[in-house]
Amino acid sequence: MKAWLSRAWSRVPEGAMRLGLVVLLMGVCALAARAAGKTLTIAYNEEPKTSDMQMNTDDYLIPLNVYDRLVECVTTGPGKSSLVPGLATAWKVSANGKVYTFHLRKGVKFHNGEELTAQDVVYTFDRMLDPATKALNTDILDFVLGAKDRMSGKANYTVGLKALDKYTVQIILEDPFVPFLAIMASPQASILNEKFTRPLGAKYGLSADSTCGTGPFMMKEWVLNDHHTMVANPAYWRGKAQIDTFVVKVVTDPETMRMLFESGEIDIFDCDYATTQIPYFTASPKWGKQIVSGTRAGIYYYSFNQKIKPFDDVRVRKAFQMAIDRKQLLEKLYYNQGRIENGVMPYGLLHFNPAQATFEYSPDKARKLLAEAGYPNGVDMEIALVASTGSQWLKLDEVVQAMVAKAGFRVKLNQMDEAAFYATRKEGKLPMYTSKWSADFNDPDNFFYTFFGAKGTVARSFNALVQDNYKLLDQGRSETDFAKRGKLYADLEKRLVIDQAVWVPLFSMKHLYVVQPKVKKFVVPWNGWSDFPIYEARVD
Amino acid sequence: MAKFILKRLLISIPVLIGITFIIFFMLNVVPGDPVTVMMREHISPDVVARVRAQMHLDDPALVRYVRFLAGALRGDLGESYKLHRPVAALILGAFPNTMVLALWAAAFAWVVGIPAGIVSAVKQYSLPDNIFMGFSLLGVSMPVFWSALLFQWAFAVKLGWLPVAGFSGWRSVVMPAIVLGWASSGMIARLTRSSLLEVMRNDYIRTARAKGMRELPVILGHALKNSLLPVVTVMAIQVAGLLAGAVITESVFNIPGVGRIAVNAIQSRDMPLLQGAVLFETILVIVFNLGADILYAYLDPRIKAS
Repeated sequence: MKAWLSRAWSRVPEGAMRLGLVVLLMGVCALAARAAGKTLTIAYNEEPKTSDMQMNTDDYLIPLNVYDRLVECVTTGPGKSSLVPGLATAWKVSANGKVYTFHLRKGVKFHNGEELTAQDVVYTFDRMLDPATKALNTDILDFVLGAKDRMSGKANYTVGLKALDKYTVQIILEDPFVPFLAIMASPQASILNEKFTRPLGAKYGLSADSTCGTGPFMMKEWVLNDHHTMVANPAYWRGKAQIDTFVVKVVTDPETMRMLFESGEIDIFDCDYATTQIPYFTASPKWGKQIVSGTRAGIYYYSFNQKIKPFDDVRVRKAFQMAIDRKQLLEKLYYNQGRIENGVMPYGLLHFNPAQATFEYSPDKARKLLAEAGYPNGVDMEIALVASTGSQWLKLDEVVQAMVAKAGFRVKLNQMDEAAFYATRKEGKLPMYTSKWSADFNDPDNFFYTFFGAKGTVARSFNALVQDNYKLLDQGRSETDFAKRGKLYADLEKRLVIDQAVWVPLFSMKHLYVVQPKVKKFVVPWNGWSDFPIYEARVD
Repeated sequence: MAKFILKRLLISIPVLIGITFIIFFMLNVVPGDPVTVMMREHISPDVVARVRAQMHLDDPALVRYVRFLAGALRGDLGESYKLHRPVAALILGAFPNTMVLALWAAAFAWVVGIPAGIVSAVKQYSLPDNIFMGFSLLGVSMPVFWSALLFQWAFAVKLGWLPVAGFSGWRSVVMPAIVLGWASSGMIARLTRSSLLEVMRNDYIRTARAKGMRELPVILGHALKNSLLPVVTVMAIQVAGLLAGAVITESVFNIPGVGRIAVNAIQSRDMPLLQGAVLFETILVIVFNLGADILYAYLDPRIKAS
């Protein structure tokens, strides 16, 4: 073969002809590589279980890439976002704030070739409320007129969901609910195709073949606990994505994930999975310039369980707030990759209040407050955490344990199994814990109501059972005047964090990713999730 | 022999039922709820209550256990709470990966362990003996996750010879099989060595040597066969152990096997999946133990006679 090639080459006239042949061969190779397609591979730390978003509360990568929603929340800058038309080109809200009319984009095709119609939207939302679905995300629709009857099985359709014509959907709410539009942009509100989904029943979304959306990528292959592959939808209504194939590997071990990245087997490394590696990557001459970061509309916090002593006393809660040096925690533990938060609403969230009052760090004042509350010799307390989360929370808890000891808090760390942790918390019986919450949709309600609503405050073991708080939360949901609503939440925030000391706000962290040099235009989503739409990204 | 096998199989039925019973009720005693774990931070008490009722999780534990047993007898192990797929399909889908890993690990353990044990016994206290025994000590004592990380760092990240993780193609099997088989090879090497040394002291070996036989035929022809009796038994049991216990290796090397399924099921209180995985692994252990007994009886005529 070698001799044959050599003979053939010798017959080609020297000079321009040979150069031309080389250029031609290079062109053919480039075209072949292009035909093979541009692939982006990432790692995900958990099997996403199902692509049926009605059955999934926290794995959003598939829905953000395979489905679309009536409205989309897009990232417009660091920590900034905007609601833009998605499958609906326009919408109208009635004067009383109860009736939403969506006009659908015409000619949008599902991956099975079916055209999107108003009936698909009605079917999608009714399916969520249908008790036979056993959906986990009914919270995003349980305020629709007739939803409760549908969920309890008293009705076999939802009266508040109507297809007015082929391209017009009307959704009627029981009461005015201002965050509704933002909720419609959440992954849980992804739109399904009735013709495809209905016959599959509970089997919908369990494999590549049983998944169908309108989004920029189509599910091609799904090997459980190993990987899933999505390919670009050539008929996508916004135009075909630049990436041809999007591979998501399920990698549960963070060290393995890091090594996969360093050996080039994955293209994007999410530092959230291994925060201890942040100094290594930022200092690395090779990777330092490959870091892409963005703010996160999310907050780290410590809870107070007001039904467990000593935190039934507001003075003790305030003392604990003052005993924590958040600046030091952020600098030493999180390499200053974030900002201190003082309230409930983090930076980047709608109605974020930069003027929110704060509490000072003062172990001496904290000790005095503890003494006033009847604990002059200090007090015993407990912080619970999930053992299987590794060092993520343990390090923070250990540093806080040492920090608050100066003020007289003797902390016992209780490492629990994940299932036991959540079961105890749901009963309102978990002692203090630390966690983080990122926005599902861009509205303060997603934070305030989640933690301090009548049910949420118990189910999250805060037990801040204050009737006036509930009234203000309801007002926030129905106040349609933007400025008045902002003022209402700012007042409520001060009342909760400073006056009632219901939790300890810590910080909002930047979300850092390290990307291979071939990855371009990768944008950290506005909310800072590890789940992101990859539509805009490019691969060289 | 047939009677012996039948008797052992009959004994295994109450063992299987007993194990599923213990696992089921242990999981019922510890706090935890599959729906709450499914929802995690997005907990909603109303949704939890409704979905629990829809999944019949509010039924008494005994009722649910009997329902599980009745289904299992029909070959239906139920549906995973978390993955929403039939348990039997999930386990059978993951088992080939676990089996390939375990068999390669066992092959490595035997191919390395037995020759190392023979050399160590024949050349007792020599340099090769010390090297092999040091190697086996390292294998037995080093935690799998640690040796796995070292291998990944050296052979994948630094040298780039093998993939870091995953399970596609023979190259991805090399590292996990060696890491998993290392501890077993150490055990086999030590067992072969001590067993061979003991046999070598017997009169018939002395007789063979007195007849003028060369050392190699004495060792391979006379001593090794008898010395391997306990080794073969351990090897058979080890395969069962490797099939059931590759959890850490599967996690670090990202292999979608039965071990990972079982661990995830425990963490998420996925009762049907865990029951299925335990039942499946119990059957494997019973089958391999039975195989070891039969093999032992076949190799040792004294056992057969008794």
